[in-house]
Amino acid sequence: MDEKNDFTPSILYGLCNWCGTGGSETAGALHLQYAENIRPFRVPCTGAIDPVYILRALIEGADGFAVSGCHPGDCHFDQGNYRARRRVAVLKTLLDTFGLDTERVWLRWVGHGEGKRFADTVNEFNDHIKNMGKNPLSQRRDT
Amino acid sequence: MTALDEVNMDNEVSMNKGIWIEGPVKKGILEFFSGLLSSKKVEAVLMPAKNKSKDSYAWFLMGKDGLLESAEPFPPVMTTQGARALSYLTKKGTAWKKTAVVLRPCELRATIELAKIKQVDLNNLVLISFDCPGAYPLEKYFNEDQKELDEIFGACLSEQVELEGARAVCSICHRFTGRGADIEIGLMGGEAKGFWLIPGSGNGEELLEGVSGSKPDNLEAREKKIAEATIQREEKRNNTLDSFRETVMGPENLMNTLSSCINCHNCSRVCPICFCRECYFDSKALSSEADNMLQRAQRKHGLRLPPDLLLFHLGRMTHMSISCVSCGACEDACPANVPVSMLFSLAGRNTQAVFEYEPGRSIEEPVPYKVFRFEELKDFETPYTKEYAKEQ
Repeated sequence: MDEKNDFTPSILYGLCNWCGTGGSETAGALHLQYAENIRPFRVPCTGAIDPVYILRALIEGADGFAVSGCHPGDCHFDQGNYRARRRVAVLKTLLDTFGLDTERVWLRWVGHGEGKRFADTVNEFNDHIKNMGKNPLSQRRDT
Repeated sequence: MTALDEVNMDNEVSMNKGIWIEGPVKKGILEFFSGLLSSKKVEAVLMPAKNKSKDSYAWFLMGKDGLLESAEPFPPVMTTQGARALSYLTKKGTAWKKTAVVLRPCELRATIELAKIKQVDLNNLVLISFDCPGAYPLEKYFNEDQKELDEIFGACLSEQVELEGARAVCSICHRFTGRGADIEIGLMGGEAKGFWLIPGSGNGEELLEGVSGSKPDNLEAREKKIAEATIQREEKRNNTLDSFRETVMGPENLMNTLSSCINCHNCSRVCPICFCRECYFDSKALSSEADNMLQRAQRKHGLRLPPDLLLFHLGRMTHMSISCVSCGACEDACPANVPVSMLFSLAGRNTQAVFEYEPGRSIEEPVPYKVFRFEELKDFETPYTKEYAKEQ
């Protein structure tokens, strides 16, 4: 095992109350294994995730932040996931503008019943962040 | 659609509707206003006036009571952002007296943005704007020979050349005309000394009824000149912002740029778009116990205090850069010489491009954060293409 894969990234996973968390429950019910270093961050709706939360996580120690909620059209609150998508789009554009790692933020919809999709997303994101290495922003004392 | 086409479209509406008034610009404008006030077409005027000590400008709401003599519709500096001044007047409801407001183009755009988020009530207001040559940095204006600066500014205003020594955002401004206002004061493209009053709405037309002046014959030349200058300035803007981006790319460069910040949050206090009564970054949400700070310090091998410097700037960008009108008020207020206005202009240009949105372009155009579509922004999602096989 090389040095890169030795590192356990700290990852936050913003999950909405209805679909994202439901996906994780389904994954549990199906006995699907997924990386254990994921910290679920449960919100009433992905629309409640302000980009500032994501930024704060990335600046203060997280290596990656994933967001999962209901598929478009399925939002419990009708439009919350569209709001999340617009906000993530703005955040990713800003990160890109200033040359900070855009790929440390992922947005992928996971439905309530999609346990497999949830476990796959967690594992894929975890490996992806492992390959990217530590988040340089979180290592700086002058932020 | 290119900028030229856009201008041409507007041209058809406004062509031959303006009024040309001969004579010194400032005097003519003030006469126009006292005319409006005497005929009761408007009952109050909001515009900057020179302070008694004559070294700066402030916004005054004035009637026909002598204040108008000290008024300065085209101040060489932007002390308070006009949209902010205006929101104090109308954020709690419609002004019940008809009020004319003179705004710089960027202030006009900010006003339109604020009207969308219900911080300005446009009813009963007459917005008047002009072709702006730029503004001096406040610091420069206070520290250098004001008489000389005033003279240079006056010359730039009447000849419509870019102001030398203007603020960084002014020198890359690409929306420098009063288009979109109820009455546009046209200075660009005029031959002799004088100015046009061009109505931009029914409201403006009403006010211009009975104003004596000659019919304009060369408004077309003006439109052409504006279109040319717009294209030129857009190119300059993009090039400057691109090369500025090179200097702030990456965590190292970005933190170097921000390192002189003293966390005073002046930039958000003076920002016309930052209207929140309680800013998240000033709120209790970000204050925490010593334990939290010590842990953070341990994790990062030290912690800068006050904390959350980068979070404040990037976070503020996610909140308002979509509506940023590049007015430069933030940089004027910055005591630590952080190039805030350039950072926000750059951020704004890129985030606005995602939604093809231009702040202040039209009151009909809703703020992107309030529009939701079923199918959009696919590029920002990470596609689930295959069943992911975990690395062994």
